[in-house]
Amino acid sequence: MSTITLNDTHHNDHHDDHAHGHHEQSFITKYIFSQDHKMIAKQFLITGIIMAVIAMGLSILFRIQLAWPDKSFPILETFLGKWAEGGRIKPEFYLALVTIHGTIMVFFVLTAGLSGTFSNLLIPLQLGVRDMASPFMNMLSYWFFFIACIIMMSSFFIETGPASAGWTIYPPLSALPKAIPGSGLGMTLWLVSMVMFVASQLMGGINYVSTVLNMRTKGMDLWKMPLTIWAFFLTAVLGVLSFPVLVAGVVLMIFDRSFGTSFYLSDIVMGSQVLPNEGGSPILWEHLFWFLGHPEVYIVIMPALGISSEVISVNSRKPIFGYHAMVYSLIGITVLSFIVWGHHMFVTGMNPLLGGVFMITTLIIAVPSAVKTFNYLATLWRGNIRFTPAMLFAIGMVSFFISGGLTGIFLGNASLDINLHDTYFVVAHFHLVMGSAAIFGMLAGVYHWFPKMFGRMMDAKLGYLHFWVTFICAYLVFFPLHFLGLDGVPRRYYAFTEFEFMQKWVTVNIFVTWSAIVAALVQVAFLFNFFYSIFKGKVATQNPWQANTLEWTTPVEHIHGNWPGEIPTVHRWPYDYSKPGAEEDFIPQTVPYSETMMSNMPHDFEGNAESERIQREWDAKNNPTKVNAEFH
Amino acid sequence: MVHTLKQEEMSPEISSSFKAKKFILWLFVVSSTIMFGGFTSYYIVFAASKGKGHGLVLPEVFMYSTAVLILSSICLFFAAKAVRNHNIQTQKIFLWVTLALGLVFGYLQVDAWSALYRSGATLVNNNAAISVIYIVSGMHLLHIFAGLCFIASSLLGAYRKVSSENAVFRIEIASIFWHFIDILWIYLYVFLLLNS
Repeated sequence: MSTITLNDTHHNDHHDDHAHGHHEQSFITKYIFSQDHKMIAKQFLITGIIMAVIAMGLSILFRIQLAWPDKSFPILETFLGKWAEGGRIKPEFYLALVTIHGTIMVFFVLTAGLSGTFSNLLIPLQLGVRDMASPFMNMLSYWFFFIACIIMMSSFFIETGPASAGWTIYPPLSALPKAIPGSGLGMTLWLVSMVMFVASQLMGGINYVSTVLNMRTKGMDLWKMPLTIWAFFLTAVLGVLSFPVLVAGVVLMIFDRSFGTSFYLSDIVMGSQVLPNEGGSPILWEHLFWFLGHPEVYIVIMPALGISSEVISVNSRKPIFGYHAMVYSLIGITVLSFIVWGHHMFVTGMNPLLGGVFMITTLIIAVPSAVKTFNYLATLWRGNIRFTPAMLFAIGMVSFFISGGLTGIFLGNASLDINLHDTYFVVAHFHLVMGSAAIFGMLAGVYHWFPKMFGRMMDAKLGYLHFWVTFICAYLVFFPLHFLGLDGVPRRYYAFTEFEFMQKWVTVNIFVTWSAIVAALVQVAFLFNFFYSIFKGKVATQNPWQANTLEWTTPVEHIHGNWPGEIPTVHRWPYDYSKPGAEEDFIPQTVPYSETMMSNMPHDFEGNAESERIQREWDAKNNPTKVNAEFH
Repeated sequence: MVHTLKQEEMSPEISSSFKAKKFILWLFVVSSTIMFGGFTSYYIVFAASKGKGHGLVLPEVFMYSTAVLILSSICLFFAAKAVRNHNIQTQKIFLWVTLALGLVFGYLQVDAWSALYRSGATLVNNNAAISVIYIVSGMHLLHIFAGLCFIASSLLGAYRKVSSENAVFRIEIASIFWHFIDILWIYLYVFLLLNS
């Protein structure tokens, strides 16, 4: 049945004359300044991958420093020059490394790389839209992102080096150009890059929201949208509501740095010189930053949650467990994420009562998060599981989300957080729950939608190798860090040998660094798989995973406008997998109920009495057992 | 709303694209509001923690500039009305007046800055609340510039004789944005008046 409908949509080709047909495009309009959402998605993905490799390389550099603080690696001097004189990374450069690693990973990889890729690819394809609400703005969004990347990376090529005040750039370190080398030009470039980046994210996010709300195909009401779209939509809403606050904060920061205002500065003595700035407060920056910063971590994780919902459902051959609960928990996370930012600031001398309020709101987020986790597990439960690489990564994402999320409950408690604040416990927590979990969600998406993006399949065996080594190594890297944190080891310290109580942890650091190196090396398998498969992979079929969503009804060959003929109409929700009575274990969203009389359930008709009557009559005639079982 | 009149002439794809683009502008309005919310919350938290606001009597020029901005909004309203009545000549006149009033507003804001500066309330100041006045009015002025571009685009449309649905679209975009920055300025002005 379903195949017939699928073919139907494709065979009434060429009868309508949309402005979108195949028009000839030059190399530049097709690959560079493309306004096609599929090409922009690929641009975001590949830029994101490149930035991820760079950020991973930076992390290996500082891991080497942490593991062997007294050893000399002449090769480092060859590459880094004066930043690693004598083959040892300098303290100032160490700070630059952790700062840029964090910035690139959080913003450039897991925000732009993740949302930029999959929102662009899937929002039009899964909703039955020819392109974004404003393809031009979409293109600008990518190019602003690209320029932001270039500016950020250019700070490695200046005399004073990149920004070094941590990815949260707390003043006064960031606000005084003379504070440390990294506070000079590097910091300015960081701020300019972030302004570009925020502009890019706003253009992208506004476009996503507008497309989802205005341009869905016929029949695609909000409650028929796949969970991926719900997640991207709510992520975009979060971005639109929170990034402007970062802009406000950054504007004030720029004035402090370059014009001498005192928004964040007061009572500072540098060397023997008393600075004229008076009356500002660095805590105000923390408020503005974390008002964005906390929603930002959900901007990172929610797309991964959405992708996992889809991948897990498809590969368990089961409807997602608790579709409505999944949506409401996403909405819950979205709303709550705006009223928890204070939990990053428990040690700033916050009023304990206010701290208590932030603690309660923070702990309440555990509820929607747990709903999601249990729903993933319930979806897997007794599923007819297909362990594709995408499925493994999605399950890995759930694993990290649980193990990292549990420590979030520790940290959300003000009384515990005062002890654990700025220790490796925090590092372990967020690397599991938003670092590893989000990157696994992203990789699940890459493996799952690679055939849609490039028309070819990635190699599954290399995928398995990539998954298992990355999964095990990620735990080996981040799990031991909890114990460092519980022992009070602070993050961002340059050499553990300098402090008596930290020396015993150097051996653990060696172990962690080796695990990180292995994890980094196995990414080569992924990179090879990814780029080789673009050109030489097995040619994909139209619907390789036998999934229900609309993107698999488009032809493998990409065309501008996505569907050659009319845009398909949607008749049902996206999770009709293994429906009792159906001919196959999946029923695409484009199949009307009239073609699946055998498998229709009373609740499918949402109380439409006429349809129920027709179904009852049909059942009475053709399927008497069902009548007895369900309609009595 | 307005283009329902012409619905049957417009292809559904263009109409839906206009609708989506208008929606984009609304979302921009939301995010821009939030940015100014960021500035004013900085101000509130700053004032609460230091126990002081900017403590100034705001220059009178701000009152005139507010009046000019409100007047420009009214003109734009009449221009939009003229578009709906297909009265291109009236539309052009009112758009020119709006444009001019927008420029006058910009001039008055700069004038207010120099009045502030002369009174000793400079941008670089140990009372960050005073610096905020410059920041919010400056950021608002950037919005004015963007708004003038929208008005110019509508005006250009009138001279190029674009199709009537396109003209309606352009003037609607300009109206949404211009009325927004009008209200935004009133909000900022009242905020600064109340929190001195």
